[in-house]
Amino acid sequence: MAVPPSYYLLLSAALFCIGVAGVLTRRNALLFLMSIELMLNAANVNFVYFSQFWGNVTGQTFSLFVIALAAAEVAIGIGIILVLYRNFDGVDVTEATTMRW
Amino acid sequence: MIDLALQTVPGVADGLLPAAVLALTALLLFGIDTINPKEDSLALLCGISVGGSLLALALAGSLLAAGYEATPVYGDALMIDGTSLFFTLVFASVTALVSVASYDYLRDQDYCAEFYALVLFAATGMSLMAAANSLATAFVALELTSLPSYALVAFLKTDEGSVEAGLKYFLVGALASAVLVFGISLVYAATGAMTFSAIAEAMVGAGDVAGVLGLGVVMIAGGVAFKMAAVPFHFWAPEAYEGAPAPVSGFLSSASKAAGFALAFRIFVGAFPVEMAVPMGVDWVLVFQILAVGTMTLGNFAAATQENIKRMLAYSSVGHAGYALIGLAALSAGGPNGNVLGASMAHLFVYGFMNTGAFLFVAMAEHWGVGRTLEDYNGLAATAPVASVAMTVFMFSLAGLPPFGGFFSKYVLFYAAVESGFWWLAAVGAVNSALSLFYYSRVVKALWFEEATVPLEIGRRPVGLYVSVLAAALGTLILLPLFGPVVETAQTVAAALF
Repeated sequence: MAVPPSYYLLLSAALFCIGVAGVLTRRNALLFLMSIELMLNAANVNFVYFSQFWGNVTGQTFSLFVIALAAAEVAIGIGIILVLYRNFDGVDVTEATTMRW
Repeated sequence: MIDLALQTVPGVADGLLPAAVLALTALLLFGIDTINPKEDSLALLCGISVGGSLLALALAGSLLAAGYEATPVYGDALMIDGTSLFFTLVFASVTALVSVASYDYLRDQDYCAEFYALVLFAATGMSLMAAANSLATAFVALELTSLPSYALVAFLKTDEGSVEAGLKYFLVGALASAVLVFGISLVYAATGAMTFSAIAEAMVGAGDVAGVLGLGVVMIAGGVAFKMAAVPFHFWAPEAYEGAPAPVSGFLSSASKAAGFALAFRIFVGAFPVEMAVPMGVDWVLVFQILAVGTMTLGNFAAATQENIKRMLAYSSVGHAGYALIGLAALSAGGPNGNVLGASMAHLFVYGFMNTGAFLFVAMAEHWGVGRTLEDYNGLAATAPVASVAMTVFMFSLAGLPPFGGFFSKYVLFYAAVESGFWWLAAVGAVNSALSLFYYSRVVKALWFEEATVPLEIGRRPVGLYVSVLAAALGTLILLPLFGPVVETAQTVAAALF
């Protein structure tokens, strides 16, 4: 029995919202990165399912690109978090407030 | 002709050569750094970086002058046409200015080769953003621009301000790119296509999933609004520009912003044509109207309250994003769309020179150890008259006073908006311009009319910074007689998009 497309949209939307909630509530920079990862993977769920739905491989191929770029983004992010740790003795994103928001 | 000599490079379409030159220059810098990792070769690294960006500038210019025909390359993934070449001109000239200016900034720094390589990689990403013809390449090019930019902002890694700025830029940027990619996935879900032309075709049959499509379109708009520093995603800008090394602030606020606009023009004009999207209820023009008015107003009002010059310039760049957004906000089915979009492109072109110049003047002041607030600039004209004349030109041009480039570009932009029937957008823009004159003239007043509180000692004159500030001022002034051809070119290439 085929699962209707709307279920996949709901699943990805739920994942995305969990990611957004994480971004908004977490103060730890590493957990922030994980939340971003969750949001990107929500998009991947859509890409993979709708690739099958439409019968072309564009979406599946692009999901590989998204995974690779997520890795690159984490690499830069970890680098910045590392210098954050050295300068502010912690990875709490609310600690770094020498300039006002 | 340079382009003829290089036309035979195998595997690269000749319209892609400017981007290829930028990327190869970055790799060359890495190569030199690997062979000779000592930090004594700054002049060489700077020279290569400037040479590479000037070569890319010359290539893009000669291709554009020769009337390059729109060519899709790599299976429709990229589209090389007048628009992509026009924006490459902007990116390459800003890159050249920033590279020259960084020479003095990097003198006491380690990792000079990495700095220049990151700048050039970001420039490569920008010129690919301007050429993107599919949502997939759009996302990859946007990340190629963003990732080096995060590293550049946090470049001074022992400086708390720089690290904090880098962190905030990265946090907002990562969030925006996640929103963008989710938007792309929703558009793919509704249409089953990635290339812009295929999406536009598939939209005809997507009437029953207009909700999914519309949400995707709004999320894509949010993702590019981050790059433009337009209102809902603007709040990284003051932090990032204040904390970042000043040449990097200039680079981000001019080139990176223009790249965001290039991408937005491509995506929204190519994939979601107005005459199809608006009747379906996917009214992205309305979204951009709200963004334009909000961005102009908030940017200019916030700039008027700043005491810190860098923050003021940051908010003024937010305000200018609002003016340029008129290019998307004043589109309508059957209207003179090429004119208004082209006017916005011409404004971004002029803005590239005057805004980079203003940030480079701030870099020069930082180099001399002048403080960051408006009061610290008091009486600077007495000690550095030439640079102050240049800064005055930038300020008046940014404000849009008549004899400068900024006046013509704003005039053409507002005129095109009125012509399209969106007189109220032009009116909001004009009121905001008048307000902006207030805070720009405060800088000029501080430079020329106030007495210095502390006598200023200027050590040596930084050659690179002087050259680049004067080049930017010259660019702003040359654009007076040249503005006609620039705006004509911009409107011709923009009309070809529709």
